[in-house]
Amino acid sequence: MNSFRFEGAGHRAQHEPGSDRVRVDDCIVTLRPDEEGGFVAMLDGRTERLQAVADGDRVWVHWRGRAFVLERIDPTRSAGAGGAEAAGSAHAPMPGVLVSLLVERGQAVREGDALLVIESMKLQTTLCAALAGTVAELPFAVGQNFQRGAVLARVHPAQAAT
Amino acid sequence: MNPIRKLFIANRAEIALRIVRTARRMGIATVVPWHATDRHGPARREADETVQLFGEPPVSAFLDIDGIVRAARDSGCDAIHPGYGFLSENAAFARAVADAGLVFVGPGADVIERMGDKIRARRVAVQHGIPVTPAADEADDPAGFAERAHAVGFPLLVKGAAGGGGKGMQIVREPSRLAEAIEVARRESERYFGDGRLFAERYVERPRHIEVQVFGDVHGQVIHLGERECSIQRRFQKLIEETPAPGLDPGLRERLCEAAVRLAQAAGYVNAGTVECIVSPAGEFFFLEMNTRLQVEHPVTECVTGLDLVEWQLRVAAGEPLPLTQAQVRWHGHAIEARLLAEDADAGFVPDTGRVRRLRWAPGPGLRIDAGVTPGSPVTADFDSMLAKLVGHGATRELAISRLALALQDSVLLGVTVNANYLARVLRHPAFVRGETDTGFLERHGDSLQPEPLSDDQRRLLLAVAARALPDPTALPLPEPYAAMGAWRN
Repeated sequence: MNSFRFEGAGHRAQHEPGSDRVRVDDCIVTLRPDEEGGFVAMLDGRTERLQAVADGDRVWVHWRGRAFVLERIDPTRSAGAGGAEAAGSAHAPMPGVLVSLLVERGQAVREGDALLVIESMKLQTTLCAALAGTVAELPFAVGQNFQRGAVLARVHPAQAAT
Repeated sequence: MNPIRKLFIANRAEIALRIVRTARRMGIATVVPWHATDRHGPARREADETVQLFGEPPVSAFLDIDGIVRAARDSGCDAIHPGYGFLSENAAFARAVADAGLVFVGPGADVIERMGDKIRARRVAVQHGIPVTPAADEADDPAGFAERAHAVGFPLLVKGAAGGGGKGMQIVREPSRLAEAIEVARRESERYFGDGRLFAERYVERPRHIEVQVFGDVHGQVIHLGERECSIQRRFQKLIEETPAPGLDPGLRERLCEAAVRLAQAAGYVNAGTVECIVSPAGEFFFLEMNTRLQVEHPVTECVTGLDLVEWQLRVAAGEPLPLTQAQVRWHGHAIEARLLAEDADAGFVPDTGRVRRLRWAPGPGLRIDAGVTPGSPVTADFDSMLAKLVGHGATRELAISRLALALQDSVLLGVTVNANYLARVLRHPAFVRGETDTGFLERHGDSLQPEPLSDDQRRLLLAVAARALPDPTALPLPEPYAAMGAWRN
């Protein structure tokens, strides 16, 4: 069973082998591959052509001139983590370089306090604390490069720290 | 005359390829540099020779004056084309190229110094009777600043002389509010820039950004190739450019182009240049700045004039006279360019990176696509986020809009988020179609430029397709010659 996160919600989609049918949540969608590496489907009496390509845990879909990203999720993995600890991590929204650190390890921060500044594509972005607590980890040094999704700072929630 | 036989192109991506193609057509050999993080550039595959540049961060390789001049000389080139960005408006670079005995494809270092500096260029404009926004600089006479600011007229923009990016800026519409605005602007300017010195200039409401393409040769001839409207901007960066400017009064167009030629003549301008102006809704125009190089948006001018501006640049650099006189220049139809950027326009224009996993440009008549990426190209944060320029051309503005919007809709680029659909939405927006363009367009129409939400059926269709998606085999391996260099693989 394929699980996806799309527009903030979890979904399941499973192709029924040897058929043109895909079960999406509790519905059946019919589509077939076309000659150009894409897919054709009917929706409300209209022919829809789509292109899709998988890239690691992301799937890109092109439809009516728009591109969508659907994230494949592993349901066994997401159950364990989470909670306040994960909420206190500042993840890199895009790859880039760390420009400056505005806090130190062990420092107490309030929700919304600026933690660090990153630069990507000539654009500087300040990442802020998602919750009040103590800065537990700053894995990157100024000038270091990181990939999208890297944890740039970890904040232990206030209650856990005291 | 300095005939050019071998040209070094001190640039990358789409503009390097575009210059290679013109040079090849003219029988000029080309050398294109590359950096290890940027091996997939399409220009490398078409150039006669390539040279590896080194530097960290990678952009520094393209800013290394000595390194580039040395690479050009060592590869036996007799000229350097700087493209746009990087060193293209750097007077020291132009001087270093000339000192090395090479031809710089652009104006001389002295002209770049004179016209590339905003304040000096503004002074040249004033001397030659070209309108600039009325302004008062506190530094000229601090005691009389408030009085001089008042004399500039309203609405008035009071800002930090050291500032930028909108910080510390105050718009004053009523004379009675001037004193308070000066106080606030000074306080903010001190806080943000550590410098409370102020500058006041007339604030133009709903300004249009219109620029004129000029060309000069070493024989003293200067002509213009018409105007371009570049008002559709986000964060002061152009997204959509077109020519002719929609609905521009013919008399105003003539005055604008005449002023641009006069300014270029006064500056002793040689080669391609652009005179940028702002135009008010009342039809006043003010000189903004001059760009002493080829512009990103030059293709729209090429589409309507049928000329190759890079060919002109090379011929002028070789000492030839301009190929046409002003009276011989003809304009046909309308052309619009859209900049395809690696960014999520619907999430505040945040840049994205990735790798091009599927790429298919929509073919069609009246369409020009200058692309800097190919299937498999990495899109990194090391360089500019512009991946390609799409240009629609047709007999009318309506046709150019339709062709370009269709091309944006039918082209497929997957693997990195691009602004293709956002650009198509702008082009099809009723206010854009009516030609109601000014620099506040994208902000004002932000709500009506949002994408339509998906229905449940549509969302399920996308999920169904995602469940059947495979990795794209064509985008995975590196092209053969590069794949052979195992050590360089990412």
